[in-house]
Amino acid sequence: MEVLHLAFYIGLITFITLVIYKGIKIASSPVHLRWELYPVAHEKGKARYGGSYLEEFEWWTKPLKKDLFGELWTMSQEIILLKGVWEHNRSLWFGSAPFHYALYLYILFTMLTIIGLIFGYNPFDSKIESNYFTSLLNIILWVASILGIIGSIILLVKRIFDVNLRLYSNPSHYFNIIIIGALYATSFIWLLGSNNAISEISGFYNGVFTFSTIPNLPICGYIHFYLLSFFMFYLPFTHMTHFFMKYFTYHKVRWDDEPNFPDSKIRKKLMEQLNFPVRWSAPHIGADGRKTWLVIATSPLPTKENKNG
Amino acid sequence: MAEKRKVRITDISNPNIYPLAEVKPTDVIELPPPYDKLENLPGFKKLSEQTRQAVDDSLDGVVAVGVPKPKTPEEEKELVEKFISGLIKLFSKENNWTFLQPLVLTMEHCAKCQTCAEQCPIFEASGYEEIYRPTYRAEILRRLYFKYVKPGSTFLKKFQVGDIELNWTLISRLVELSYRCTICRRCAQSCPIGIDNGLITHELRKLFSQELGIAAKEIHEKGTVQQLLVGSSTGMTPEVVRDNVSFIDEDLSERLGIKVETKWDVAGADYLLIHNAGEFLSWPENPAAFTILLDAAGIKWTLSSDLVGYDGVNYGVWYDDFQFSRIAQKHFEIAKKLGVKAIIMGECGHESKSMGIIAERIFGNEIKTINAMTLIEQIVFSGKIKFDPERNYFPVTLHDPCNIVRLMGIVEPQRRVLRYLAPKFREMEPHGVENYCCGGGSGFAVMSPYNFLDWRVQISGRKKFKQILDAFKDEPPGPEVPKYVCAPCSNCKGQIRDILDYFGAKDKSGIYYGGLVELVVNAMADLKEPFIDFSMM
Repeated sequence: MEVLHLAFYIGLITFITLVIYKGIKIASSPVHLRWELYPVAHEKGKARYGGSYLEEFEWWTKPLKKDLFGELWTMSQEIILLKGVWEHNRSLWFGSAPFHYALYLYILFTMLTIIGLIFGYNPFDSKIESNYFTSLLNIILWVASILGIIGSIILLVKRIFDVNLRLYSNPSHYFNIIIIGALYATSFIWLLGSNNAISEISGFYNGVFTFSTIPNLPICGYIHFYLLSFFMFYLPFTHMTHFFMKYFTYHKVRWDDEPNFPDSKIRKKLMEQLNFPVRWSAPHIGADGRKTWLVIATSPLPTKENKNG
Repeated sequence: MAEKRKVRITDISNPNIYPLAEVKPTDVIELPPPYDKLENLPGFKKLSEQTRQAVDDSLDGVVAVGVPKPKTPEEEKELVEKFISGLIKLFSKENNWTFLQPLVLTMEHCAKCQTCAEQCPIFEASGYEEIYRPTYRAEILRRLYFKYVKPGSTFLKKFQVGDIELNWTLISRLVELSYRCTICRRCAQSCPIGIDNGLITHELRKLFSQELGIAAKEIHEKGTVQQLLVGSSTGMTPEVVRDNVSFIDEDLSERLGIKVETKWDVAGADYLLIHNAGEFLSWPENPAAFTILLDAAGIKWTLSSDLVGYDGVNYGVWYDDFQFSRIAQKHFEIAKKLGVKAIIMGECGHESKSMGIIAERIFGNEIKTINAMTLIEQIVFSGKIKFDPERNYFPVTLHDPCNIVRLMGIVEPQRRVLRYLAPKFREMEPHGVENYCCGGGSGFAVMSPYNFLDWRVQISGRKKFKQILDAFKDEPPGPEVPKYVCAPCSNCKGQIRDILDYFGAKDKSGIYYGGLVELVVNAMADLKEPFIDFSMM
């Protein structure tokens, strides 16, 4: 096993493990109180203007209809078009869009490469450089690399020269852009310098996923995969996990409008949470570390605060 | 974006920078004539030397809370230790399950793209003063969270989010800074990732109240504490409120020539109506209009004279989960005792959000709630009452209370009513869920300590005032044509009243304000006298 094999496995395993761990951790957070924000995308017939089922007189007597297509449509626009940034921060969109599109294309390229291997794509076949699948992969990687470089440069320049971004940027922000930009730059150089880049990349994935030797790569190829390995290892420790945490910020907070009906799952979880012991110290809370949340929240004010009490 | 001196995040800990920021009259956004003159920009009242010696005004020269200055280094140290203890509790599931998930999501995933910044009416109206940027206070809490709560290598944490020095100066300024945001959550609405900087304000206020016992006097001591002890944040006891309402009924009966009689404690009524008790004192025509409308529609309703039951106010929603729950629990308990099928929440935004959304998840499984907007729409289009829209033939615009619209999704009912009953209705821009806060949200409307009134009228309410003026720009600019701002929320009305008074907009432009139900009753064809009398407003 080569060092690159090991680096890649460590990166991939860390990525998968930590993403799953973080996802489970946030998903198993206590049920929070409602804090939705309109428009809520699944409000059937009302989402377009931001309305809710609460507009209906005696809403609980009517069926609550959820428009799951509405959610899907809104999320698609957000993910594919970066609609929020387009509407509220247009100048950033011109950097953010190529940056994100490049990521999507890079992921697509990697997945297609792996799928190709599963279905018999042979990286060691001397004729593969001329087949359609290779051409498709080639185009995707070229576009991804160029968009990625453009996006990274724009975002980096904006972070450095726009004082509104610079004041809130930490070393990690510059580092993240540089690392991702370097990924694209190395793939770009690789494509530029080698006629066999796609078969070399496929050969690499064939090697790591079949635990076999990887073909000789050009220097930029080695750098590219070491960078990729590091990036996979590093990403779960950063705010960039927003790529999947966005599910929770939207579906579990912003769009969480589930009403409180007896016997609902939420109600059951909530009843458990009401029994949590509370330790806040301000006198008006009256907590002692033993009294539960519900006891405190339904008790009169403690005597010190309650001058009549 | 206009360039200003940029305050850095770490500056908040530096006691040598005094004040940390300052908004000059020339910095703020311009208003249309006749409010564009420099005499309309008097700046903020200077605090007396005595006040400045007693409380900290080093954030921006404005004081909303007034953290007392420490007398000894030990006092400083104690505050810092308590703050750290509160910070840890804020991120523990036992102490803060109520908002832990959204809080952690916001702390850990902000990309710092500043997409939210332009959406904040306070940041914009102030001329983009850095400390009012939605991410400024969030970034301070984020750094403190990484430093004192989140496990991991110190080096990596500094690399990821930067460092900050925690001292008395930071805490005191952060207390004030948590009262420079109305929690309108317009910033959160624009965030592509779903980060909620409005929530940060909410959580900071909770930390200060629940651990350090620090909160704005008007919303804690005179607010929730008074409400729980006396019955209402207005200070009205059950006896006083019944007396006041009886007087309002008599007065209206005499003026309108019809019987106006409020119902109290009717067991078995269909609905318990809970007003913001501020209405009884400041806008008695609002509860009176409800009485007339509900009776005319043949609805079985009642008010409650139980302690807390006649005041839908719940200031806890802005700063303290426990005060919030104590009040909310009373509301639901009283409704249950009366045996009603639902609570009707009067024209009050935060009451509606508190009861109808937030407390609903804890106490609302048996008793449900209805916002007044939907009830009014139901009555207006029920065919039970005859209306003459021509009685409302004056320019009307609608203010969208954030709590009812952006945070509850009740957008159209009030519009359908206005389109029918107010022939000269026009929208503000932007409106609906993209509205601007009145500037009095999160308790500001009832807070006027020290020089805070100057700030909330000139800065946090500025964008709304501009919207109001723009909505009526096609009308004669003077007072000859009365113009009505329909603000179906008590707190918004309070803030709009203060803005209009401050700028003299009634005399200069003929701008008046009121609720929705008053317009509806004014259009009732069977009433001999108009309900709305501009000469008395």
